Amino acid sequence: MIGYAARRLVAAIPTLLLVAASVFLLMRLIPGDPAQLMLGDAATPEEVEALRRSMGLGEALPLQFAHWAGAALTGDLGRSITNGLPVLPLILERFGVTALIVLVAVGLAVLIAVPLGMLAAWKQNRPADLAVVGFATLMLSIPSFWLGLILLLVFGVWLRWLPVVGFVPFSEDIGAALAYVVLPITTLVLIEIGALTRMARAATIDVLRLDYISHARAKGLSEFTVLRRHALPNAFAPTLTLIGLVLGNLLGGIAVIETVFTLPGLGRLLVEAIFQRDYPVVQGVMLFVAAIYVAVNLFVDLAYPVFDPRVTAE
Amino acid sequence: MILRRAALALCGLLLALPAAAQEATLRARMNADIRSTDPGTNRDANTDTVVLHMVEGLVAFREDTSIGPLLAERVDTSEDGLTYTFTLREGVRFHNGAVLTSADVKFAWDRYLRRETNWRCLPEFDGRGATRVAAIETPDPRTVVFRIERPSALFLTNMARPDCGGSGIYHRDSLNADGSWRAPIGTGPFRMGEWRRNQFIELTRFPGYAALPGQPDGHTGNKTALVDRVRWIIIPDSAAAKAALLSGAIDIDHDIASQDVQEMRARSDIRLAPVQSMGMAGLLFQTNDPLLRDVRIRRAIALSLDAPELVRAVSDGLVTYNPSVIPSASPFHGAVQREGYTRDIPEAQRLLRQAGYRGQTIRMLATRRYNAILDMAVLIQAQAAEAGITLEFEVIDWATQLDRYTRGDYAMMPFLYSARLDPSLSYEMVSGPKASQPRKVWDNPEVEALLRESMVTRDTGRRQAIFDQLHRRMLADVPMVVLYNDAAVGAYRTNVQGYRAWSTGQPRYWGVRIN
Repeated sequence: MIGYAARRLVAAIPTLLLVAASVFLLMRLIPGDPAQLMLGDAATPEEVEALRRSMGLGEALPLQFAHWAGAALTGDLGRSITNGLPVLPLILERFGVTALIVLVAVGLAVLIAVPLGMLAAWKQNRPADLAVVGFATLMLSIPSFWLGLILLLVFGVWLRWLPVVGFVPFSEDIGAALAYVVLPITTLVLIEIGALTRMARAATIDVLRLDYISHARAKGLSEFTVLRRHALPNAFAPTLTLIGLVLGNLLGGIAVIETVFTLPGLGRLLVEAIFQRDYPVVQGVMLFVAAIYVAVNLFVDLAYPVFDPRVTAE
Repeated sequence: MILRRAALALCGLLLALPAAAQEATLRARMNADIRSTDPGTNRDANTDTVVLHMVEGLVAFREDTSIGPLLAERVDTSEDGLTYTFTLREGVRFHNGAVLTSADVKFAWDRYLRRETNWRCLPEFDGRGATRVAAIETPDPRTVVFRIERPSALFLTNMARPDCGGSGIYHRDSLNADGSWRAPIGTGPFRMGEWRRNQFIELTRFPGYAALPGQPDGHTGNKTALVDRVRWIIIPDSAAAKAALLSGAIDIDHDIASQDVQEMRARSDIRLAPVQSMGMAGLLFQTNDPLLRDVRIRRAIALSLDAPELVRAVSDGLVTYNPSVIPSASPFHGAVQREGYTRDIPEAQRLLRQAGYRGQTIRMLATRRYNAILDMAVLIQAQAAEAGITLEFEVIDWATQLDRYTRGDYAMMPFLYSARLDPSLSYEMVSGPKASQPRKVWDNPEVEALLRESMVTRDTGRRQAIFDQLHRRMLADVPMVVLYNDAAVGAYRTNVQGYRAWSTGQPRYWGVRIN
C-alpha cells in the first residue's frame, strides 16, 4: 500500500506542474493589470509601469515563471501583490476555515444521506422513497447562495438566534465560534445531501438486486441486518467516490457560502485575488487546490479496500 | 472571611459594570478589506477611509469641497504663489503622546517625496504634474515653509486629496528601523486597533485628540470621536450586508445597494442618509474609432438619449441628470453646467444621414461589477435604437474593462469615474493627448491650454469662466456624454446619531454617537 501511495504521489508531480504552468499563463492571458487596478482610473501610464516594475511584473514571462516555480519548490509561494503578505501562510490560514466547514458539513451530510438513500432503496417506489427522492431533488435544485440567504433571513434577521456575519476562531471562543459556523454548515449539509442521497439510493438498489442479498434474506436475517451488514459495504463504495469528488471540490473553496456568510475562507481568497489580478495568490491557491484534489483522491482510493475487499491497493 | 471576599468581588464587579456599559463600538460595513495603513501608497477608497480616521494633513477638504486648515492653524501664500507658509496648531499630539512639530511635517513629507515610497500623488509634487516642491523649510517648531517651482491653483487641493492619504502627517515611529511602514501613529481622532485581515479592522478612540472648535466640516472641523471604537466589518456581499444591518450585527452601511433603498425607507428601525456623490457616470466615445471619429455620429447618439429619464431609471430616481464633468455639489457648478443635450430623434437621424451612417453595428463594453454600468448600457442601446443606431454590448469583468479603458481599446462604454474634488481635476481626468495617454477621451490642444490655465490661476472668477468655456466646448465636441453624479445612500440603525453622508463618498465616524 505504501508503494502504491508513493507511486501515485510521484505521478501527481506532472499534474501539479501542468496546473502551475497553466494557471500562470492563463492569468496573464486574461486582460487586466494588477497595477492598474490598484491605481484606479486616474493613473498615468508611467505610474502604472513603475508600479508593475516594483511588483516584479516587468520581467519576461518565462523568467517570472522560473522565479516563481523555483521558489515554490522550496515552499515559498511568493507574496500577495495587494497586501504584501506571504502567500503560503495566507492559504493555510484560510484553508483552516474552509476545511473546518467542509469536513463537518460533508461528514454530517454523509451520516444523513447514506441512511436516507438506503431507506429509499429499501422502500423503492413507495411513499417513503418518493418523499426522500423529492427532498433530494429539491436540495439538488436549490442554489447554495439562495438557501444561505434564506437561512440568514430566518435564523439571523427574523428569529435572531444566530449571528449574521463574521467568524470567530475556535481557539478564541468555542461557543461563539460554533454560533458563527452553524448556518454555513447547515447550508452546505442541505446542499450536499441531495447528490449523496441519490447516489446512495442508486447504489443500494443495484446491490439489493444481487443474489447474495436474496440468500441473506433466505437465511432469515432481519431486513435491518441485511441492509447494514450485507448491502451497506457494497453500496457505500460508489458513494465513497462521490464523497471524494465532493470533498476535493469543496475543500478547493466554497466561495459562494464564504461570501454569503462572510467567512474568511480559501474560496473567497481566490475569488478576490482573481478580481484584483493578484497573480501570486491565484497561482498559490490553485496549486494548493490541485494538491488537495490529488490527496483526497489518493485517500479515497486507499480507502476502497476497506469497504470492498475485491479492490486491492496494489 | 469568605463573605467579605465575595462582597469585595461584588463591589469590584459593580464598579466595573458602568465602565463596560459605556464602552461604545460603532460597527460599520466595508465591502472589501483595506490594502494597507500607509497613507496614499498601497491604497483604495476603503483604505483612504480608514487611514483618514487616524492621520491628518496640514489642510483638508471642507464639506463644500473647499480647502480649510487642519493641522495648520493658518496658511499664508506669497504674492507670486510660490511660497506657502503653514503655522501649526498648538497642543496637537500624536497617538504616542509626542507633540507635533514642523520637523514631523518635514519627516513625513520627505518620505512622501521619495520615489521608493510609491506615494500615489508624487507626480503632483515632483514636477510631472501640477508643480514641484523645491524645498521644505522649518524655521521654527511651529512653522513649515513649502517653496514650489510653479504657481498652482491645485497645490493645497492635491495636499488634501483623500486618495493622497490627505498627505497625512505621521510620527517617525510609524516606520520600522529599516524605513518600511509599520503602523500609523497619527494625530487623528482614532488610533490603530486590531486588524484581522478580511474579517475586520478596528480603531480605538484617541483620548488626547486636539479637536478644532465648532462642528465637523468635511475632513476638517471638529473631529472628536464620540465612540470608543469603530469596527469596520468586511462584508463583500450586499445581501449579507443588508441582513447584517437589519439584524443589528452592524450599525451602519455607508453605501447600500440602490434596489434596497425603498425597503429600508419603509422600516422604522433604519434611517437613510442619501447624498449625490462627486463620482461621475457617463458614456465614453473612442474618437479614434472609424465610425465614431465623426462628431456627427457621436452627436446623433447623444441626441438619441433621453438623459433625464435614463438617469432616473438607473438611479431609481435618487439623482438627476448632470451634463457636466463638474459635480453638481461643486461650488463651480452653475447655470452653464446645467446646459446639456435634449432628446431630438429627427435631428439625430438627420445627422446620421449626413454622416453616411447605414446601420453599422457599434460595439459597447459593459460590466456586471457595477450595476449602473450594465443598466446604462441596456438603456442606451434601447434609446439609441429608436434613432436607428445599432448598438451591441459585450459584458466583461471590471478588471478587463478598466484595462481596455486604459488602453483606449473600445468604441463606446458607460463608465464610472471616482470623485475628483476640483473642477480642474475633473476635466483633467477626461482630457489629454491620446497618443501618450490612450485612456483620455477628449484630445483637443485648445482645451489642454485652457485646462492648464485653470490649474495655475488662483482667481476664482477666471477659473469659473474657463470651466464654463470648457463645458460648452465639450457639448460641441461630444467626446463623451456625462450623465450623472452617482447617489450614495447610507443606511444606519436608529441608535446611531450624528452620521452625515458626504458627497465625496467618504464616510466619517467622528462626531457619531451610538446609544
